[in-house]
Amino acid sequence: MRVGSTFNIAFRALRRNKLRSVLTALGIIIGVAAVIAMVGIGNGAKAQVEAQIASLGQNIILVFSGSTTSSGIRTGWGGAGTLKIEDAEAIRREVSGVTAVSEEVVSTTQVAAGNQNWFTRIYGESADYLDIRQWPLADGSPFTPQDVRSANKVCVIGRTTATQIYGNDDPIGQVLRVKNVPFTITGVLTPKGLSAQGVDQDDIVIMPYTSAMKRVAGGTTLRNINVQVGDANQMNAAQKQIIDLLRQRHNIRPGRDDDFTVRSQQEIADAATATTNVMTGLLGAIAGVSLVVGGIGIMNIMLVSVTERTREIGTRMAVGAHGRDILTQFLIEAISLSSVGGVLGIIIGIAAAKTIAITRHWPALISPGSIVIAFLVSAAVGIFFGFYPARKAAALDPIEALRYE
Amino acid sequence: MNNGTVVRLSDVHKTYRTGEMEVHAVRGVSLEIQRGEFVALMGASGSGKSTLMNILGCLDRPTAGRYVLDESDVSALNRDQLADIRNNKIGFVFQNFNLLPRTSARENVELPLLYGRRGLTNAQLREKADAVLASVGLEGREDHHPSQLSGGQQQRVAIARALINGPEVVLADEPTGNLDSRTSIEIMGIFQQLNERGITIIMVTHEQDIAAYARRNVMMRDGLILNDHSVSQRFDAAAELEKLARSTNES
Repeated sequence: MRVGSTFNIAFRALRRNKLRSVLTALGIIIGVAAVIAMVGIGNGAKAQVEAQIASLGQNIILVFSGSTTSSGIRTGWGGAGTLKIEDAEAIRREVSGVTAVSEEVVSTTQVAAGNQNWFTRIYGESADYLDIRQWPLADGSPFTPQDVRSANKVCVIGRTTATQIYGNDDPIGQVLRVKNVPFTITGVLTPKGLSAQGVDQDDIVIMPYTSAMKRVAGGTTLRNINVQVGDANQMNAAQKQIIDLLRQRHNIRPGRDDDFTVRSQQEIADAATATTNVMTGLLGAIAGVSLVVGGIGIMNIMLVSVTERTREIGTRMAVGAHGRDILTQFLIEAISLSSVGGVLGIIIGIAAAKTIAITRHWPALISPGSIVIAFLVSAAVGIFFGFYPARKAAALDPIEALRYE
Repeated sequence: MNNGTVVRLSDVHKTYRTGEMEVHAVRGVSLEIQRGEFVALMGASGSGKSTLMNILGCLDRPTAGRYVLDESDVSALNRDQLADIRNNKIGFVFQNFNLLPRTSARENVELPLLYGRRGLTNAQLREKADAVLASVGLEGREDHHPSQLSGGQQQRVAIARALINGPEVVLADEPTGNLDSRTSIEIMGIFQQLNERGITIIMVTHEQDIAAYARRNVMMRDGLILNDHSVSQRFDAAAELEKLARSTNES
């Protein structure tokens, strides 16, 4: 009953100062809402990046032409044309566990059909590419290994390209002019949406790499080679074999740098996850600062409140309150403010994250764990910042307190 | 009337230390107050009456001497024990009322019950508080906040709060200091009624004509009791009010 009536006393005191209670709680509300929204958005971005990287396909090893450092000169991946079609053939033939290989060349150019034209990306690939990327066609059929061998003028196009050039018409069977070379469209890809970098993945034309090299991009080297391994356990072995094979083929002596770069999908995923983790952490930390500011706000108001209510505290002591009753009362007031603020902050934070997700097309992922933690932290803020003022109140001398003007 | 000694002070001293200086506020006071008495404690400021009042109210402990309240020695109790004594045996009435602002009269009166270990439900609290408020003439004002009440009404709420735990002693510290003369007489009227019902009252005042409503006057000077006598020409609040009404009509 003693605890019960202390709650009773604390709630009565809070009710007496409604506006002040609301304003004090507001600091915590904003802090918790910021943490919930920021971490939710950060986690959403992370999940999206992970999904994007998973959409590269399963067990992929990417071999890029050129190296990040080559004889001391730093070049971009795919910067120097060192990968040949024969290298891809050798990987296909000699590396164990490899189930599919796609030679890749990339260029950007103007494409046209009828009176429409559009600037887009041209990907030259092998017939296995759509399987590796797990990217099915929405309509039509893919190009075949025979098309690749013969460098046939066929292609499949992404949804964005299709809409830009053909509008609502069916593009299958239509002729698309790429650098004035007529290509027959055999299929339309299912939409993939934006990539993690914000690139529209559906703005694309995919054709046999042989056709791309001969008829569109020119040149004899590949930008990169996509290698798919059948079993995840063979990834490391395959990666090492590819490096050894390419060093041998490129006559690189021991001790010299590779002129190519091998990355597994997992490494790329780890790097991206690390990046988004840093971002989430940063957002959370900034939001956490506002939570601390909210806590200081509570402490400030509780200190003012103790001073302002000195006579009240004296009166309470005169009619029989123990120091502990006063301590508990002020502590309950602080914790009530912070935890009610925490609950409201969680609700507002979820609403803010959802609003941002809808209006900015940015995903938000709010885990139950972060809600529980946010609530516990806000209650802890109340205890931490409420304790000092509460102890100060409890230590007052009743005679002094009663005489206080 | 149930007789017996409620308050027994034996050679009570109180010395304050402020820096290098020692202030002897009370220097050996012995005093007995019987159940049912109405005592006015008088003296100029600095006479030690406030210090003595704090000791009587268990807000402070004597530096030396014994204080027996209702047959238990309270001179050496700790803070929490003193708080319990105040809660159970003493009712306070202050000069500036000391009501909680923005809090209804009823909730103000309930306050001591909240700190008692009585395990009352909210309904019981309410019932007790309303009954005491009615006994000081505040029926129908239970939900008013102090700011909606006159000074006299606020002091009645404070008296109701002092009475709610059925104290052994009601201590009033300058209870009429902030009130006009007519309201002061009304408050004295309430004290006289309570005293008729057997409640022991100790009142600090420096006003001679307020002290005249008590049965016994104790005069202090320089930390000692100067004289202690029963009031010969006691004022009766009802008669004084009637006199006041008549003189107002005449003028």
